[in-house]
Amino acid sequence: MLSTITSGAVYGIHSHLIQVEVDVSQGLPCFQMVGLPGSEVREARERVKVALKNMGVKLPPVCINVNLSPADLPKSGTMFDLPVAVGIMIALARIPQETVEDTLLIGELGLSGELKPVKGVLPIVQEAARQGIRRCILPAGNAWEGALIQEIESIGMENVDDTISFLLGHKTESPLVRHDRLSDLEAIREQNMEENLDFADISGQEGLKRAAEVAAAGFHHLLIIGPPGSGKTMLARRMPTILPPLSMEESLEVSAIYSISGLLQSAASLKRTRPFLNPHHTVTGRALAGGGRIPMPGLISLAHRGILFLDELAEFKRETLDILRQPLEDKKVQIARSSGNYTYPADFMLVGAMNPCPCGFYPDMGRCRCTPYEVRRYLGRISGPVLDRMDICVEAMPMEFHDIVDHERGECSEDIRKRVMAARERQKLRFAGTAIQFNGDMGAGEVEKYCKLGPDESRYMEKMFVTMKLSARAYHRILKVARTIADLAGSRDIREIHLSEAVCYRGMDHKYW
Amino acid sequence: MTEEDKAYMHWLYQAVGMGNRGLLRGLETIGTPRQIYQMASSGELEEKVSRRYHNKITYVIESVAGYDVPGEYERIRDRGIDMVTVAEAGFPEKLKSIPDSPYVLYYMGGLPVAGQKTVAVIGARDCTEYGRYMAGQFGTQLARAGVQVISGMARGIDGISQQAALRAGGYSMGVLGCGVDICYPRENKELYDALTKQGGICSEYPPGVGPRAVLFPPRNRIISGMADAVLVIEAKDKSGTLITVDMALEQGREVYALPGRGTDPLSRGCNRLIRQGAGLVSTPGELLQELLADYPDREELHQQELSFLPKEQQDILSLMDMNPQPAEVLQQRYKEAYHRHLPFPELLHQLLQLCAEGQVKQVGGSYFARCPG
Repeated sequence: MLSTITSGAVYGIHSHLIQVEVDVSQGLPCFQMVGLPGSEVREARERVKVALKNMGVKLPPVCINVNLSPADLPKSGTMFDLPVAVGIMIALARIPQETVEDTLLIGELGLSGELKPVKGVLPIVQEAARQGIRRCILPAGNAWEGALIQEIESIGMENVDDTISFLLGHKTESPLVRHDRLSDLEAIREQNMEENLDFADISGQEGLKRAAEVAAAGFHHLLIIGPPGSGKTMLARRMPTILPPLSMEESLEVSAIYSISGLLQSAASLKRTRPFLNPHHTVTGRALAGGGRIPMPGLISLAHRGILFLDELAEFKRETLDILRQPLEDKKVQIARSSGNYTYPADFMLVGAMNPCPCGFYPDMGRCRCTPYEVRRYLGRISGPVLDRMDICVEAMPMEFHDIVDHERGECSEDIRKRVMAARERQKLRFAGTAIQFNGDMGAGEVEKYCKLGPDESRYMEKMFVTMKLSARAYHRILKVARTIADLAGSRDIREIHLSEAVCYRGMDHKYW
Repeated sequence: MTEEDKAYMHWLYQAVGMGNRGLLRGLETIGTPRQIYQMASSGELEEKVSRRYHNKITYVIESVAGYDVPGEYERIRDRGIDMVTVAEAGFPEKLKSIPDSPYVLYYMGGLPVAGQKTVAVIGARDCTEYGRYMAGQFGTQLARAGVQVISGMARGIDGISQQAALRAGGYSMGVLGCGVDICYPRENKELYDALTKQGGICSEYPPGVGPRAVLFPPRNRIISGMADAVLVIEAKDKSGTLITVDMALEQGREVYALPGRGTDPLSRGCNRLIRQGAGLVSTPGELLQELLADYPDREELHQQELSFLPKEQQDILSLMDMNPQPAEVLQQRYKEAYHRHLPFPELLHQLLQLCAEGQVKQVGGSYFARCPG
């Protein structure tokens, strides 16, 4: 007899529903799996056989054939254990086929029959909901992930025996973990806000804070240059506290990536604050972009919708930084493997911090021990195209004694965030109906369209262009940033004062010599 | 000296090793370079030289084999390189009189004109904004007054003053510590090219000799030796610039120094020179008055008229100096001086206006310095 069960698998960030077809027929006893199963999928045979035995289910000596359809997609992961086990029970006519209609089954089996959590549940359940499936049976440890999706009923199971009982409509032994939906999602997310970091902790550094605010408002990439101990890292860590909180959709999008990486452990992992990742400068390109035989999302994907902070930017290997070029452009990263192309989203804000020179004190010539050549070489370590993407470049100034000792506490993150959110609202209105979300996403064409200057301002920019020796690229970047500054000021038009500030933040192309 | 003689001179100068002037003078008493070449190839040379020097001339004798005298000389001439020996009339007059004067000078472009005043402008490689500006001012004003500027074409003060002199249409000579066909430092390529066209480049080292640390101190005596006076723009307490000053004193050249603030490490060398008796010059005019008898005595105005600037910009400008300051420091100074908080965007706007007026310079991101004059 034949049975069909719906399960799913993750490919990059996309998921596919997989039909697990099981046929039981008379013949020499055997257990075969086809449909490009990976070795961990193939091992389901042993796990299922033993688990069923230990749950007290006796398998008759029959020939079992399992097909994972579509058969041309390579399958990996351990989530097919449960559907195979249930499929066999249906094929043996112990459970009616109708009980699994419109139901998604995912789960790894232990030899005792228990159900263990697996990776990537969230994106699979999302896909299932999109395709009209109304119920999912998951390992108890993953049930809350399923419950994040409003349209689907999520049922958590402790073991395979309970699953069979549940499908037959019997009473289960362990209490059923059943989430219709996590109605208190917002409350959970609210709880998860990181409260212990605040902008008020940073003393002085008005210029730096202001630049951070502009960067946050327009989602501009930010480069902080400054001497050691001037609070570059401190500021970067507090950047998420002034960014608008993740919306529910964004939260799910980010959580899906974490789910694939196996980093989504409990409801407590569901964040409202944006991700903040700061890899050490010895990080490899593969760890940053993602990779492996079966690709896993890299750090840039884990920083999706959040901040990727690269401290000591000049210490990163050039090849490592160059890997960022394509994701910075496309906001996603593509990894090609023999098994197919995998795409992971990577729409992050790049925040870099570095010293201005090897000794760290340039342009304070009284303290700087470096020659101009050394300074230039130090800055030259960062690849030009990556620097080009840095819309805002700002200096942290050395801390003075009185800054450390008797500083007044600055503005708190919440106040700054309010202004950032207001600026974001203006951007939302402006870009309604386009693919662009923030000023930082604008290309040259959009800059022409959305950053129109009045006659006075045009004249002013012309003057600046000549006196400050701007390049065409710098000019566009300045307009983008000026647009954000105007949004922060609540101004419909870009004024001279906005342009001036943006000129000061322009990238490093002509700034140093 | 004919071209042919020079070709042999070029050979001999390289063969004895450029540091060994004593041997060169000794050989000269035996015969002309050409005769020495013939003696060396026929084996007579050893007989003519006393036994003590035999081991010293072995290289001279060996170098004859396979050396194409006219060809090698042709090669440097093709690259626009000239040579002049101390015995010739074209050799810089002032340089002849110094102790340990170079025997041969290789040069590109032109040599300094004998009758004209010449000043060596020297100073630190890693200079401050102040030094950079002053080097430029001195270079320009000296050139305008027809004074020739000598320096080492190094990074920092040297290169800046020479560049300024050339831009003002004057003559400048760069004395190198390597062969004249090598541009060192490389970043001064633009200046190097301009010097070969409009000024001159010279060196006592034959073409092809690379820059080495030991070669630089000896070339400093040529810098000061070519000049009537030496001007130090900026120097640290212990600085290579002071070697040139010592040489200048030995050669009896006037030494002038530009004073700086007591706290400034890059002015400490200059201030000390002044205390030891060097002439104090704070403007190009002061130096020119010392050099040229007929230079008019007139008050120089450093301070530009600021009255056309808006009040606020004037206030900000009054808080700035030529040391680059972060905008935040200016914001703080403004608050202390005028008891008013100037919001950051407003301050940046005013500073940028000043930049556009040419009063202020943006040095790296949020640092700003005043441009005087």
